[in-house]
Amino acid sequence: MSIILRDVVLPLTDFTLEVSLELTANTTALYGPSGAGKTSLLEVIAGLRDARGTVELHGRDVSRLPPRLRRVGYVPQDDALFPHLSVRQNVFYGAQVREDAREHSAIDVLEIRPLLDRSVKKLSGGERKRVALARALLSEPEVLLLDEPLSGVDVALRDRVLEYLVRAREEFPVPAIYVTHQMEEVTAIAEEIVVLERGRVTERRLL
Amino acid sequence: MMCRLLLALLVVLPLHAAEVRVFAAASLTDALTEIARDYENRSSDKVVFNFGASSILARQIEAGAPADLFLSADEEKMNALVARKLIDPRTRVSVLSNKLVIVVPRRGGKSITDPRQLAQPRIRSIALAEPSSVPAGIYAKKYLQSLGIWSAVAKKIVPTDNVRAALAAVVAGNVDAAIVYRTDARISKAVRVVHEVMNGPRISYPFAVVADAEQPRAARRLLAHLRSQSARDTFARYGFDVIQ
Amino acid sequence: MSSNEWAILGLTLRTAALATLLIVPPGLAIAWLLARRRWRGKSLVETLVALPLVMPPVATGLILLQLLGRRGPVGGWLHRTFDFDIVFTWRAVVIAMMVMSFPLFVRAARVAFEEVNPRLEQIARTLGAHEWRVFVTITLPLAARGVLSGLLLAFARAIGEFGATILVAGNIPGRTQTLSLAIYNFVQLGRDADAFRLLVVAVVIAFAAVWITEAFLRRRA
Repeated sequence: MSIILRDVVLPLTDFTLEVSLELTANTTALYGPSGAGKTSLLEVIAGLRDARGTVELHGRDVSRLPPRLRRVGYVPQDDALFPHLSVRQNVFYGAQVREDAREHSAIDVLEIRPLLDRSVKKLSGGERKRVALARALLSEPEVLLLDEPLSGVDVALRDRVLEYLVRAREEFPVPAIYVTHQMEEVTAIAEEIVVLERGRVTERRLL
Repeated sequence: MMCRLLLALLVVLPLHAAEVRVFAAASLTDALTEIARDYENRSSDKVVFNFGASSILARQIEAGAPADLFLSADEEKMNALVARKLIDPRTRVSVLSNKLVIVVPRRGGKSITDPRQLAQPRIRSIALAEPSSVPAGIYAKKYLQSLGIWSAVAKKIVPTDNVRAALAAVVAGNVDAAIVYRTDARISKAVRVVHEVMNGPRISYPFAVVADAEQPRAARRLLAHLRSQSARDTFARYGFDVIQ
Repeated sequence: MSSNEWAILGLTLRTAALATLLIVPPGLAIAWLLARRRWRGKSLVETLVALPLVMPPVATGLILLQLLGRRGPVGGWLHRTFDFDIVFTWRAVVIAMMVMSFPLFVRAARVAFEEVNPRLEQIARTLGAHEWRVFVTITLPLAARGVLSGLLLAFARAIGEFGATILVAGNIPGRTQTLSLAIYNFVQLGRDADAFRLLVVAVVIAFAAVWITEAFLRRRA
């Protein structure tokens, strides 16, 4: 039971997010129409939004902890790469180990080593996604939150990026929540699907 | 019939009342205010004052500021305006004199028993009216030069726009000492006179009517009053020395 | 320029530079708090910070004189305890400059911070950075343009400061007579030629300050 949400309540614009969940699968897809509150739920888990209720990660109650103590890796929908830093500086921002250590398998699994010295502005959509994921993985999170990782990627390249994601999940199997509204991604990567509509869980099943 | 006559008089009388604009040295503020109040009660004229440093007032008159009377604290400022034909020289008369005093704050002021002590390092700041232009400052600088301590004291001088500002600095306790007129020291209980300058520079207040005054007749009337016995008594009460 | 004029310029630049440097830490702190935090009494702080911008400078100078004079709450304590004077010294010049340019700097820095995407700061936090690291590595570098132009504006304001300075520091040649005060003094003394020479210096400095700022902002854009 890696991710537990108890009576999490967060008022949003049109409705209130009310969720109680105990996630057991390794990768859980959070599926639902846009505006359902999926991103807000991720933000609550990451500690970026204050909500009522309890958030437990790996048995630790993190509800009152600031984001930096929760050991959550968050890859938001818009990547949020730091525009003023190089790819290398982005990727190593949260890394616990020294920059020049050779063993950084996230960099090699996602094949971003040749990108390291580039400016963030010169990356393609797919490259940005990989860099953002590598950055999150290098901070050695205990829980991974991915918000629509394939949004904004060219349709033609989606499969390639999805391949990278699958490989990354194999190498770094920390419990993850994968938000999407595309069913193909759900079946490719998740073991369980949770459907969120207007702030409530309406369906839940194993895949 | 009587009512209509009275009404007519009431309408006509204010038209005769003149507003005399007086540019006067700052040190004359209190004495002149009292004299003017009395004057306004006796005559139908009104007196409007512009008090300040004589140097600044002279500049204003040069620039065309409307003034009827100029009451200066030194002869040089008056001479400069006469030379530029801005003063009616026939009306010029020197009525008053004054003395310089050294003052310190009454509360917490340092003790000074001899004027030469102003040169000592324990006296850190001395307020004077601007010594290169304002009469009070010019007199004070001449005095300090005559004592031979000007060069020692020069870097401690806090120059102010007029003599009353120098007084205010001592009243507030922000400077260790100031050199002002005896008449200035008298109006404040917050300062203590530590020395009165008996053989200092000759101080003289020339009064005159401005050349293109808007109210020359009223100005002359007021000037005559300023030389009257009652006005002289008032000036003397404030500590001025009366010439003539 | 005569040596006297160089001295006036030197005094002005030194005091303005010191004043600008000293307002940076509190200015950044308050700008950040105003940009990123909400709390009861926030609008009071906003108003107080903006006051010197809106009040007549001489009024501000009068307040400073009351506070920092030898009989005032702050100045009195310093005078009694350390025999330390503020009014009529260069320290009063620096303080007057600080008070008058503080609101300008805070305003510019606050806007600059507000324009930084808060999402970037949030991500940095999830990556384990504590608040100070987020500020130094993310917020400040991304706000640098606005903050620096605010700094230049504050410096220019400090150089031009007159009303508050003349009340609380006096117009003492060699000690507190800055460029603006010297121009005023020369005009009062009828030394128009000297006043105009200093006027030219003031214009050149203002010109240079704006030119450099614009060039700098163009480069970073």
